[in-house]
Amino acid sequence: MAESRIHARGRLFSFILLFFVGLSSVNSTAQVPLVIWSTDSLPPLPSPSAGHISSDQELAVYLRPVFASGPHTVLLFLQEKLSKDDLTHYGGVFGNKQDSAFKNLEAALRSSSSVTFPALEWRSPSAVTALLEAELGASPVLADPDTLSHLSIDTSVNNLLLINLPYCSDSLKSCKELLHDNDEVLGKALSVLQTKGIPYISIFTGQQPSRVISETAVPQEKVGRSLLQAVAPDVKPPIVFNSTGNPCIMLWAQNLNVSVSESTGWIDLAAQTPNLTGSTCSSSSSQLVLRYPSGHVLSFSMSQRFYPVSARNWFSLDTVELQVGGVTASYVGSRGIYAPAEYSFRCQSVNNFQNALLVMNSTNQSLSQWRLNFIDFQIQGFSLNNGTNFSYASDCASFFTPAIWMGLLTSLLMLLIFVYGLHMIMQLNTMDRFDDPKGPSISVPQSE
Amino acid sequence: MLLEWMMNGHAILYTGVTLAFWSTILIVGICYTIFDLGFRFDVAWFLTETSPFMWANLGIGLAISLSVVGAAWGIYITGSSIIGGGVKAPRIKTKNLVSIIFCEAVAIYGIIMAIVISNMAENFSGTTPETIGARNYQAGYSMFGAGLTVGFSNLFCGICVGIVGSGAALADAQNPSLFVKILIVEIFGSAIGLFGVIVAILQTSKVKMGD
Repeated sequence: MAESRIHARGRLFSFILLFFVGLSSVNSTAQVPLVIWSTDSLPPLPSPSAGHISSDQELAVYLRPVFASGPHTVLLFLQEKLSKDDLTHYGGVFGNKQDSAFKNLEAALRSSSSVTFPALEWRSPSAVTALLEAELGASPVLADPDTLSHLSIDTSVNNLLLINLPYCSDSLKSCKELLHDNDEVLGKALSVLQTKGIPYISIFTGQQPSRVISETAVPQEKVGRSLLQAVAPDVKPPIVFNSTGNPCIMLWAQNLNVSVSESTGWIDLAAQTPNLTGSTCSSSSSQLVLRYPSGHVLSFSMSQRFYPVSARNWFSLDTVELQVGGVTASYVGSRGIYAPAEYSFRCQSVNNFQNALLVMNSTNQSLSQWRLNFIDFQIQGFSLNNGTNFSYASDCASFFTPAIWMGLLTSLLMLLIFVYGLHMIMQLNTMDRFDDPKGPSISVPQSE
Repeated sequence: MLLEWMMNGHAILYTGVTLAFWSTILIVGICYTIFDLGFRFDVAWFLTETSPFMWANLGIGLAISLSVVGAAWGIYITGSSIIGGGVKAPRIKTKNLVSIIFCEAVAIYGIIMAIVISNMAENFSGTTPETIGARNYQAGYSMFGAGLTVGFSNLFCGICVGIVGSGAALADAQNPSLFVKILIVEIFGSAIGLFGVIVAILQTSKVKMGD
């Protein structure tokens, strides 16, 4: 019975230490472990959930009924600094029980009824002392094992005996040795009280945590994963021209860069707000005129008609005109900018100098320097049907480029030839029509 | 018996390839239809965007290669018959070389046409269909057509002459007087290769590639 109780205590202690191990990785606010053991039985404490930091209130609530049942002698071992990590580091919890620096503490917990607060919220160094003082109504008496034996303890009143234990500093002793010495002090004090036959409640805790793992601040607004890329800028709405109250022409572009000469550089018209006066809209042709405060005027003319071969309506962007300071340059876009009339046209790059979709209409030399570069350009001039969303975007980029088609055609042709040749070779057989193993072998005449 | 035929490696390969080909076509067609993207299937775009040089060089390549295939096939057929018949009747071997020469002529037509067509390929400086110009497109397509014409004509001419020559050799082995009669059949057979050459010349007569 006693052996099983000791065994149970041992298991309890190792469980407590492992509990410390499990919890040590979670909390980051200042916390101190606190162990209570007593010669009498202590009321059970429901084990806290992992990561829970007990508050002083919880400790007070637990201790109140304990202290209420008559006078107690409380022996408080206050180590200068204590954290869970010290117990796991030096407690011989990784199967090396013989290296434990807390042998007396373990023995005491095993032999007495004990309760642990694995994580007690730490606010100030004197919090525990003050709390015990308040609960017991007795002021602490500083002691150490030597003086303890000479001390006469009146068991009819509450007594609070305080033993201060040092913590590792940069002294000559190693931390393990120091904690071992603390343990010896603890053991001696307990044995003194035991020889005196005084029932006690003993508490082992720290004045402050020896190690506080500070977490990096978690931004409270974002829970869950988010991309590390730069914040995408707000998307501006498309330019919408309304005719008789309904949207008729829509245009959106990330950039509408124009450049009159090399020296003046690019001007992004999309950053300015245009005036849409002069735009017209009908069932067969639409024109969007954008007048910018900087003096530029950009106009897009689109037309739509029925094509009998494909039997559907197609629209095309016929001309794009740019007017800067009284001079107008006109570009033809109907060659490459077209789509079925129900859809919008979208292209990543609409320009007049590289894979140009816009071709200059006139041969005026002075205008040949002008450059247009529309980036991520989408336009729709028909079939908006009262909505302000673009229809399906027919992209200027096809699935296979012409080069890919050429390569595919040639490769497939060569593959076909190869397969045909392979087939011919594979169906060559030695002729065995006239083989007759039993007949006479053929005779070859020696002369003609 | 079908199972035996199926177990043949060739049959499995060809069945697999045909299945892959037709299923690709079917699935692509279905996707085009479902998503109403049929307008993107544009043959005119393909013909104008692909370079005329591709067509021209395909024509040149096909001209010589198909002619050579025809010649080779014909020589293989005739040659094996001559060699086989020559075992029993060695006198046939000298006379029947004429059949081989008829087959070879087909290859010569092919190489001449290939050289003629390749001389017409010139550089041009356009990059878009407008700047390339209609004449260059016409040149590319004509060269392709001419190559195809001469190639296929010579292919079938070569096979024809080969089979007839094979018959001639074996008939000659049996009865020497038959050879001259069969030679007439061979001459008719080789005329068709010549037709192909003439038509190809006509096709490329108006070709003018360049700026």
